[in-house]
Amino acid sequence: MIIEKRAAGLPAFVTDYLGMALALAGLIVYFGIKADNFFTVTTFRMIANQIPDITIIAVGMTFVLIIAGIDLSVGSVMALAGAVLGVCLVRFSLPLPAAIAVCLAVGIVCGLANGFVVIRWRLPAFIVTLGMLEIARGGAYLVTDSRTVYIGGPVEVITDMSILGLSLPFIIAVVIVVMGQVVLSCTVFGRYLIAIGTNEEAVRLSGIDPAPLKLGVFVLCGFLTSVAAVIHTARMSSASPNAGYGLELQAIAAVVIGGTSLMGGRGSVVSSFFGVLIIAVLGTGLAQIGAQEPTKRLITGCVIVAAVILDHYRHRIRKGGGTKRI
Amino acid sequence: MRKYDRLILSVFVVCAVVLSIVPVGCGRRGGDKLKIALIMKSLANEFFKTMEEGARSHHKEHAGEYDLTVVGIKDEEDVTKQINLVELMIAQKVEAIVIAPADSKALVPVCKRAMDAGITVVNIDNKFDAGVLADKGVKIPFVGPDNRKGARLAGEYLASRLRPRDKVAIIEGVPNAFNGIQRTLGFEDAMKTGGMNIVSSQTAYWETSKANQVVSALVTEYADLKAVLCANDSMALGAVAAIKAAGKSDEILVVGFDNILAVQRLLEEGKILCTIDQHADKLAIYGIEYALEMLKGEGTPADRETPVDLITAETLK
Repeated sequence: MIIEKRAAGLPAFVTDYLGMALALAGLIVYFGIKADNFFTVTTFRMIANQIPDITIIAVGMTFVLIIAGIDLSVGSVMALAGAVLGVCLVRFSLPLPAAIAVCLAVGIVCGLANGFVVIRWRLPAFIVTLGMLEIARGGAYLVTDSRTVYIGGPVEVITDMSILGLSLPFIIAVVIVVMGQVVLSCTVFGRYLIAIGTNEEAVRLSGIDPAPLKLGVFVLCGFLTSVAAVIHTARMSSASPNAGYGLELQAIAAVVIGGTSLMGGRGSVVSSFFGVLIIAVLGTGLAQIGAQEPTKRLITGCVIVAAVILDHYRHRIRKGGGTKRI
Repeated sequence: MRKYDRLILSVFVVCAVVLSIVPVGCGRRGGDKLKIALIMKSLANEFFKTMEEGARSHHKEHAGEYDLTVVGIKDEEDVTKQINLVELMIAQKVEAIVIAPADSKALVPVCKRAMDAGITVVNIDNKFDAGVLADKGVKIPFVGPDNRKGARLAGEYLASRLRPRDKVAIIEGVPNAFNGIQRTLGFEDAMKTGGMNIVSSQTAYWETSKANQVVSALVTEYADLKAVLCANDSMALGAVAAIKAAGKSDEILVVGFDNILAVQRLLEEGKILCTIDQHADKLAIYGIEYALEMLKGEGTPADRETPVDLITAETLK
């Protein structure tokens, strides 16, 4: 844990989120000038429509990274859970709530399997979840027979529902972000997670068994991934076995842009949400000004690296030289 | 607990051994029957899955004539793996290789090595680059559809529903894939002939969600967009979802390519205007039959064009 000197006069959350908010505002202004129709309600509604799935996965990923773990399987697990949802609805004609329950169960089981193997045999999460990445992708192909399942109406009700002009998935995502942040910073469970990420041995020596806590985090990540799968499938009106290809890296990028440490022990859910927003605004803006794929990738890559460098300095300043890790 | 661990370990070992043997065991050996290897791109892709099923059913009917080995790569961009597969087939001394190359240039040298080893090579689906073939001094017959012609068909059907100077956008396939490039060119041919205004042409890497993101941005940027032409149906699915989210389902037409199962209902509902069927199930069969002819000394190494058909709500009925 880090003992921090608060910048004089400013509450911690302002300094925490100010940099990210400024970067985001900068991007929006830039694209607002460059593209004809970027700075419009439609653009923002569209972004709000697109980010719920990646946001929810980023929340799960934040928790995993905080305990110094990693979950590379989220993209594939999302495809598998989505595929199961599609097959339940189309082939077995289950009602939507039942199909969603099965879909969520798939995510939980995958998370449970990841967590169990990592903890039971003390294996690096990197390797175990890499294995799950392949397993779940293979499962997705098996379940769908390698064919995109078109669902249409039965699943579109999820995206069609809206409250005060905001779509249901977006509201769910925001609620999950808020709950995630509260759990992380205001509950004993959250503080334990940060402690595990900082020094697992110390946690064990102080009489707390880290195993169930870590298992809980992997299950949480799997569960959130399957929630994302429901939303993603609803947005596409179809379940593709190729869905979420490379999504794990996008999620990790968003979380890291938000300043969560890959080494564990430090992170914030709200910052991850800012990370998602930055990537989404970049993607949308670049597509609107008609940038070609190589340019898009170059710029996104540079933004990720720049964000991490910036974060490094931000923390050096905040630590003010006088404080140190304990 | 120790014993339990050992049990699990032995299960792992057995699984690993079985898995490492299976791919080799798949190539069934039969007396002096001809051995034909079908090397495809991603078996996880519906198009190639259909192709594989077509090939297998053909093999079932002609099991007396030849033995069939079907191999594919994990995802479409895994060029190195596909080169390894060709080398594996050379080592297994097959008589013929029917290949849908993942890259129209990078696979040429290894196919030349196969031909030098006396193997008949037939190119299907994605045509080898003419320049590289000439450079290597080899002639590999191509059996497959004219993607540019197919895309032009779809584009012309769309043009009949549009007015000159209407704004349209093209969603391209993977930039280095020959068939993707041909489809983009075919779309452009039709749109230019019809006098439409192509406001944007971007790649979405054959993927549904990438296409969804790109098309969402496009419908926002160009409020009066009239049509989106997608180089495959997966991307058309993403486009339809994006247009629906923007509430413009009645204003923007979508064109796809491949005629996958998932778009059938969308065609009937009018959410996708048309798509192109290049008969994936028959494509591999054409290639295999061509290879058999060549092995019997009947065929001459000339290209053979396979049909492409326009699919609309009417043709489905």
